[in-house]
Amino acid sequence: MARIVSAMALTHSPGLTGWFDRAPEGQRREARRALDAMRERLQAARPDVIVLFSNDHLLNWPINNTPEYTVGIGPEHVGPADWYDEWLALAKYRIPGHPGLARYLVNEGARRRLAFAYLRDMQFDDGVSVPMHYLNPDGAIPLVPVTMNCTVPPIPTPERAYQVGTTLREMLLAYPGPERVAVLATGGLSHEPGGPRYFSVDEEFDRWFLDLLRQGDHATLVRECTLERMEAAGSGGTAELLAWILTLAFTSGPAEVLAYMPAIAWRSGTGMVVWPGVQN
Amino acid sequence: MGNVERCDKTLPVNEMIYYVRRDAVLRERWNRDLEGLARQFGLSREEYEAVRDKDVRRLNDMGVHQYYIPQILRLFYGAAANSNSHPALEAYKRAYPEEAAAAERAQERLARGKG
Repeated sequence: MARIVSAMALTHSPGLTGWFDRAPEGQRREARRALDAMRERLQAARPDVIVLFSNDHLLNWPINNTPEYTVGIGPEHVGPADWYDEWLALAKYRIPGHPGLARYLVNEGARRRLAFAYLRDMQFDDGVSVPMHYLNPDGAIPLVPVTMNCTVPPIPTPERAYQVGTTLREMLLAYPGPERVAVLATGGLSHEPGGPRYFSVDEEFDRWFLDLLRQGDHATLVRECTLERMEAAGSGGTAELLAWILTLAFTSGPAEVLAYMPAIAWRSGTGMVVWPGVQN
Repeated sequence: MGNVERCDKTLPVNEMIYYVRRDAVLRERWNRDLEGLARQFGLSREEYEAVRDKDVRRLNDMGVHQYYIPQILRLFYGAAANSNSHPALEAYKRAYPEEAAAAERAQERLARGKG
């Protein structure tokens, strides 16, 4: 049976690769340090596969049909999408997929009444490309990308994300293979991409949210970090924290916050978190 | 709820941007024949003019998904080095001067202090 060996979360803002040098030196140093630490801890966990959860920025589906979740089931993932490579200042990368596990998620999800759309050829924006650049730079660890709708109304609720995370954990632990699975959430923290507060970060919200993660009380976090609260901290972007809340369901105990930066230059509250305790 | 709730999911321009971003031929046509492209995707005259004028506030008010608005600007100005001083983002500062000024002050405080 598969095992969860790692649970982490980080911001995926395009500025982390596209215009990294525009942030103050202190923030750059802090981000580099935390990203290096995450990569080392990920590698030390020796995962056979990363299951990554991220907002789909209206890239893989048109606005008339935005599935809540989409699984990339292809044997290989190639990114960034053409439209994004110049913006992210990243060369094309290739990462092996894990079609066996990915297709299992789609089919077992259906049996458990979870609708996962799937794509054989998924396109990748900052949500996958930025974290893979820093954490899986050689593409050595196979990837199952799962994109989420965090930005097209109706945006799902935190309760729903946590519930899906709980079911996904049960599904992964029931997977008939010996895989060591790393779970990775990307997105957030506060930001409002393309909205009137495009250049703003809500530092107070971000620190409050990270404190809730440090406390490790899942019920309190899911109850208090409402969708309305996230929207108030930055509309259409902060709700990417739904990926973090989904990942919370794989963890136990307090999170360790490696870094936090209210990075206006990267247009996003920027954080890196690992959970020392996972649920198996 | 927040600004993203203003989105009109049925607005033709919201469909058009999805296809233009994914297609190099359409991206090239954006700068050569925007009006023809807008006609092809069924944009109203009002939608077309707001896109043509790069009018951030009008686009937002009519229901263009907020994530697509900077993408529209990048189609005009290019995507490289998209920092807060990029020409594509100057349009935001003109559209929302108070919000932009508040963010600039916060950035300066950061740079002076703990940043």
